[in-house]
Amino acid sequence: MTVEVSRVYLLDGGTGDGVEAELRDAIEQAQISDWERHWIPAILAAIQDLVARQVPHSGWPQSLHWCWPKKIARVQGLLAFRGFSVVAQGVTQGLAQLDLTKTCRELSQKGKPLIYVEYLEVAPWNRSELCVLPRLRGVGTVMLTAAVALSNEEGFKGRIGLHSLPQADAFYRKIGMTDLGPDPSYQNLRYFEMTVEQACAFFEKEEGR
Amino acid sequence: MAAKRTMTLNLTDAEMQALDELSARKDISKTAVLRQALRLYQTIDARVEKGEKLLFENDATKEKAELMLL
Repeated sequence: MTVEVSRVYLLDGGTGDGVEAELRDAIEQAQISDWERHWIPAILAAIQDLVARQVPHSGWPQSLHWCWPKKIARVQGLLAFRGFSVVAQGVTQGLAQLDLTKTCRELSQKGKPLIYVEYLEVAPWNRSELCVLPRLRGVGTVMLTAAVALSNEEGFKGRIGLHSLPQADAFYRKIGMTDLGPDPSYQNLRYFEMTVEQACAFFEKEEGR
Repeated sequence: MAAKRTMTLNLTDAEMQALDELSARKDISKTAVLRQALRLYQTIDARVEKGEKLLFENDATKEKAELMLL
């Protein structure tokens, strides 16, 4: 399979300057290696810091236990799943895994296919809840934009859906997704959906940046 | 976008009608319907090959029915 690479721009967390990055439409061995060699030590250091600062468990990032090699192995070779990665400054800055077989729940588009964002995670050094000064900003938005673009490519007209970890709820509301409330069938995480109109507005806003 | 290949598909009237109806109901093209069908079939087949069963549950009655795949 040929991996498509697009040039995208992130923001330097300190200076606010643009930083060139690659958006890759796959998660490859290089990303797994980066996760093992760079993300895991940074996550362990972050956990030590959270313990030292006596931050209660409820304040810890809920994705700290995610094991990307397992997530990727589970869907290896299946057409129903797609991955995206963002690489900048020589290392993986974000990972996303998408499911193409889910359908919409929001009443106006119920039953129509969407891109379901199964997992989306930004490298620990880019997360404001773990660092005073995140290294790069905009990684999550780049991957979400890629999900909306994939939805358009697949003919799903920009529709996407996801279960949000509590710390990200405000972000998904801010970008205009519909909050369908806690889902008892999925750990009571809130389910968000983007309609065709919301996807158009989101895309226009992102293209205008 | 990944490169795509074109193929000719021969369908009966009934199959074409089903495809048309799904395309209209799901608000996607006929090509997208077939690509979705392939994704789902491959996913189900992979899970059945691993020894799993495909069950449907009625949301109201909680009655379960197994879909037999040969």
